[in-house]
Amino acid sequence: MGTIQILFYFLSALAIFSAIMVLLSRNPVHSVLWLIAVFFAISGHYVLLNAQFLAIVNLIVYAGAIMVLFLFVIMLMNLNAETEPRKHIWMKLAGVVSGGCLLMMLISLVRQAVEMGGKKAMMAEGNIGLIKNLGHALFSDYVVPFEITSVLFLSAMVGAVVIGKK
Amino acid sequence: MNAIIVSALLGVVMMFTGIISQKKSVHTAVASVGLLLLLLANLLNHYGLFVIHVDTRGMFNFEQFGMYFNSIAIFATLVYVLLSGKTIEHTGVSTADFYALIFFVLCGVSILSGFNGLLMLFLGIEIMTIPLYILTGADKRNLKSNEASLKYFLMGSFSTGIMLMGITLIYGATGTFTMGESNVIGSGGLIPKTSFLEIAGAILIFVSMCFKVSAAPFHFWTPDVYDGAPGVFTSFMATIVKAAGFIAFVRLYENNTAMLGPTWRILLSFVIISTLLIGNITAVFQQSVKRMLAYSSIAQAGFMLFALYSANDLAKEGILLYSVAYSLATIGIFAILIKMKDYTFDGFNGLAKSQPLLAFAMAVCLLSLAGIPLTAGFFAKYYMLASVVKTGGSLWLVVIAVLFAAVSAYYYFRVIQAMYFKDGEAELMELTPAFKTGMLALAVLIILVGIFPTIVLNFFYF
Repeated sequence: MGTIQILFYFLSALAIFSAIMVLLSRNPVHSVLWLIAVFFAISGHYVLLNAQFLAIVNLIVYAGAIMVLFLFVIMLMNLNAETEPRKHIWMKLAGVVSGGCLLMMLISLVRQAVEMGGKKAMMAEGNIGLIKNLGHALFSDYVVPFEITSVLFLSAMVGAVVIGKK
Repeated sequence: MNAIIVSALLGVVMMFTGIISQKKSVHTAVASVGLLLLLLANLLNHYGLFVIHVDTRGMFNFEQFGMYFNSIAIFATLVYVLLSGKTIEHTGVSTADFYALIFFVLCGVSILSGFNGLLMLFLGIEIMTIPLYILTGADKRNLKSNEASLKYFLMGSFSTGIMLMGITLIYGATGTFTMGESNVIGSGGLIPKTSFLEIAGAILIFVSMCFKVSAAPFHFWTPDVYDGAPGVFTSFMATIVKAAGFIAFVRLYENNTAMLGPTWRILLSFVIISTLLIGNITAVFQQSVKRMLAYSSIAQAGFMLFALYSANDLAKEGILLYSVAYSLATIGIFAILIKMKDYTFDGFNGLAKSQPLLAFAMAVCLLSLAGIPLTAGFFAKYYMLASVVKTGGSLWLVVIAVLFAAVSAYYYFRVIQAMYFKDGEAELMELTPAFKTGMLALAVLIILVGIFPTIVLNFFYF
């Protein structure tokens, strides 16, 4: 087992464990902190896949900016056990059933995944995730979607102004 | 491509109009002229005239089907703005911004009718829905509108997340954003040997698309959002946006059903039947006409899903005709509904006595939705069912659909009954003669399409 594989299994275990802890933590602030751990683990995966730029952006934007916003909101809302909405037992049951259906579907598909066994993520070229190559792809093959995204942002901004105005 | 560029630019133009002029009637006028320009630009695209030439690198696949739907959507929006423009002016303070958002929605619609690959599908869906979240909450002082907007936003983002998961799985399996690229590796057996990630992705995208077009069992957001949103914007959401969702749905799964195998038909018929069942049965019990229309739009979605089921040329013609018939009729009904003071069935009592012309136009729209012959809705439903018959072997589905169409007649006729056969004072806001003429023109158009459906379909081949 090489170093990369050991790192891969370690990061995967960390990501899954932290993700489960996000759900299980009683305190919402702890949930957010575990979520940051998930993002770090995923950024580690990105580095393993030679996507260095993506890893850094993921850390700065998600683990940095968005999680701080999350923490602020949760602390401002002053959540505690009394304000928790009571869930009906049937609701919980329905959730378990539908979640179980999805799990069953995914497992039944993974069981047929014989052809995926030998495939590995592309790791041979070290410079594929550098910002230079990313920019090249963005402004050549993906230039149309890139430009059209600006319409999306523009409409979101107009929306924010419309909602924010008196 | 013309429609995408011009509609995005017109959105910006609308924002500037809001700065230059404070008069709201000017905003409506500019929006109407803009829609005409957009329609012209799209028609020019049919004949190969472009605003600017763009090398899309295979991101788009503009074909006649999508381009023609674009024209239909823009035309329906024009009808909508001409009929309900006055109400948009009264809805909130920022009329020009609402029009700008409507143009951005149209930009999303044009992307959805021309996308090639899942990346553009995702962008198109997002550009189409994000302005809608805002429009749903346009009536800021109304708590119901706020609730509807937040609900729509949360549920919509969640379903977008599911779609992104599906796209990621497909990209992971094939390395491209095109669905069905790896094709069927070996045939035989119930499930073809396609990559499992691709099948999982296709199912997740299916779930998300079902949510976007409000097909059961993913319809739960629809009644609350359609009921809570300001009536004018419900009208826009329930017609043009929904039809665009179906066009994207049909185009997405057009050539990829082989990948999912025979299970695809089983899955789809389950969705169709539950959509028809829930939409129609629940609509029967509603007291508010607006909420009834929300459920009826779910029921109509069940019919439109037949285009996906049969996936042949007849279905393509059918979905175009259906989007014309359904959009025009629903826009007409909502245009009158938002002028009413009382949204319940009783609010319509005696409308025929005080406003015979409006009652007639409303009756034509309702008959069209119910699918009565001589209205556009009849041929729309006929084409849908004929396409299923043509695929063969699914006659039971047709029988069920016809039964539910009969159920739907009950709640549409309740409104007609209230208008014509009950006494009462239906209260309306003030009406302009132009509005009445517009409604009459709409009713005539619906009847015209109902008698000669070929006038819609002939354009398809030019």
